Amino acid sequence: MKTHRLEAGSFLWFLPAALLLSGIVFYPILRTILLSFARRSLATGFRTEFAGIDNFARIVTDSRFHASLWTTLVFTIVSVLAEFVIGLALAISVTSIRGGRNAVRAILLVPWTLPTAVTAVLWAWVLNDQYGALNAFLLHSGVTQTPIGWLATPASAMIAIIATDVWKTAPFVFVILLAGLQNIPRDLYDAIEIDGGGAWAKFRYVTWPHLMPFSFVALMFRAVQAFAIFDLVWVMTGGGPGGATETVSIYTYRTYMRYLDFGYGAALAVTTVAILSAAAGGLYTALVSKYERTF
Amino acid sequence: MEPDGTGVWRELLDDFQKKHPNVRVRLVEGPPATDAREEMYSSSFLSGDAAYDIVYADVIWIPKFAAAGWLMDLTGLVSPADREDYLPADLEAGMYHGRLYRVPAYTDAGVLYYRKDLVPQPPATFDQLADLSERLKTQDRYGFLWQGKQYEGLVTVYLETLWGFGGDWIDGETRRVFLDSPEALEALEFLRKAIGTISPPAVTTYAEEETRLLFQNDRSVFLRNWPYVWTLLEQTLRKDGRAGVAPVVHAPGHSSASTLGGWGFAISRFTQNPDAARQLVEFLTRPEQLSRIQLRLGRIPARKRLVPPEFAPILKSARVRPEIAEYAQASDILQRWLSAALTGRVTSKTALLKATRETRALLGDVR
Repeated sequence: MKTHRLEAGSFLWFLPAALLLSGIVFYPILRTILLSFARRSLATGFRTEFAGIDNFARIVTDSRFHASLWTTLVFTIVSVLAEFVIGLALAISVTSIRGGRNAVRAILLVPWTLPTAVTAVLWAWVLNDQYGALNAFLLHSGVTQTPIGWLATPASAMIAIIATDVWKTAPFVFVILLAGLQNIPRDLYDAIEIDGGGAWAKFRYVTWPHLMPFSFVALMFRAVQAFAIFDLVWVMTGGGPGGATETVSIYTYRTYMRYLDFGYGAALAVTTVAILSAAAGGLYTALVSKYERTF
Repeated sequence: MEPDGTGVWRELLDDFQKKHPNVRVRLVEGPPATDAREEMYSSSFLSGDAAYDIVYADVIWIPKFAAAGWLMDLTGLVSPADREDYLPADLEAGMYHGRLYRVPAYTDAGVLYYRKDLVPQPPATFDQLADLSERLKTQDRYGFLWQGKQYEGLVTVYLETLWGFGGDWIDGETRRVFLDSPEALEALEFLRKAIGTISPPAVTTYAEEETRLLFQNDRSVFLRNWPYVWTLLEQTLRKDGRAGVAPVVHAPGHSSASTLGGWGFAISRFTQNPDAARQLVEFLTRPEQLSRIQLRLGRIPARKRLVPPEFAPILKSARVRPEIAEYAQASDILQRWLSAALTGRVTSKTALLKATRETRALLGDVR
């Protein structure tokens, strides 16, 4: 009897949070899912009509969505891998520093603390063909005779946004992995040394397995954020040139806000989330199962 | 509203409030990018709130906003005398399905700036423009600058080229699409071939200001831009008569056509103060007020009697972009494929075929 009252009481405590969450999380999700099965746009006079799976059928044949999905995938995979490798290298080298480690860590964190839009404007200027610092450097050092329009061609624009993203978020991976490295007991390395193992053995049998949960957190956070990339691309290229850097979130935003096609916009959002969940699930299974097998 | 850099809008509103002490006007400054301001209004209207009584509207927003039912019918607000005084294209651009939703304030049209000291007589045709550019360009000076970034500006440049070749994009009335015509290909090829020869390779990243700054700094013979540049050149190239302004070029046998831009005032359907809003729109579009903006910001009033003589012939040839509610989609399709062709992702032919197909699907132009 007593436990029963306690449960009812604890439920009451939980209620405000539950209401708040359902208001700002579950309701929009539910609405978006419902809307993805509806026709609601400027063409219907903003009336909602049941559309069945029409919106999803349109996604299957929508070459612009396929292109943006591909762009997003390339961006996510390349930038997250690069950030991981650079973040890991930075973390390992900073761990081996004796003095001034905190200062180095603080300096390395600066790019991460800048707002993305500011980072994007900054790099767009560095890469500017007429006034940019990079071209000034290349022209002066004689690498090139004419300034290069880094954001002017599809391939170089893609490289530019990936590089900017890596510059900004490699520090995030670095901090997470640094925390992981500092948690590894020293005596494990000593044990390897006694067994006659070198630097590679230390990395392979101590550092890497211990970093696995931290790597998972870093990769997961970065992958989800990279997949939803919007502000960086919006400011640097607006999705151009020729739509070469248009990501799914930019396409979805345009469908909603510019084309006022809410049913289809919702279907795009739902599809993106479904793909992302599947990918995250895959990553989780791959990494965590591997981690558990290691021990 | 656009950012009020000079404070001149604030002054006008203060004057209005002196005459109408019981009306309180609040000036909301938005970001300089017009797309962002369009979205600022859209999101407010979508939630049905009355955050903005008056919309300072670009010509191309009107069909969408009117079709969405967000604007008040202002047909009765313009007197017959004013109707005569407004530039016809600007008035037309504020109409949707025969009703007026936007009172014109300032007009805009693409023009060709040229270096008077290098080119005594401005070119009239595409070939002349290309030849002069080729001949006069140097290591430090490009031939021809235009807006090639993937955005609305590229559409306006392409349309002028397309119209100059005698082609067309979309007929707003019949909703037919003409992008698969030979003229459309000629126009796109003209721009594509300019890149890296008479125009800088990175012209595909330039919007208005990038090109204006280069031209102003003696880095180009020709510049396609809007009339606002003329005022800004006053202290530099115009001081010793080195800059001239001319209509955009065309192909032999066709005539020059500029893309019409421009701003005006519309009233929100959700306003709580329709009478005060009407009074303010009426006040702001009177010649006295328009002249003050002209003086301070270099805008050209959309009234015949206030148009500076050097721009009068150019404005006569200004054409409106298609008045369709799906304008944003149609423009995005065109921007993407033009930009794809100009940056070498696809051939001009493929780009235009794809753009034609997508635009026809959008507008239901089945053949």
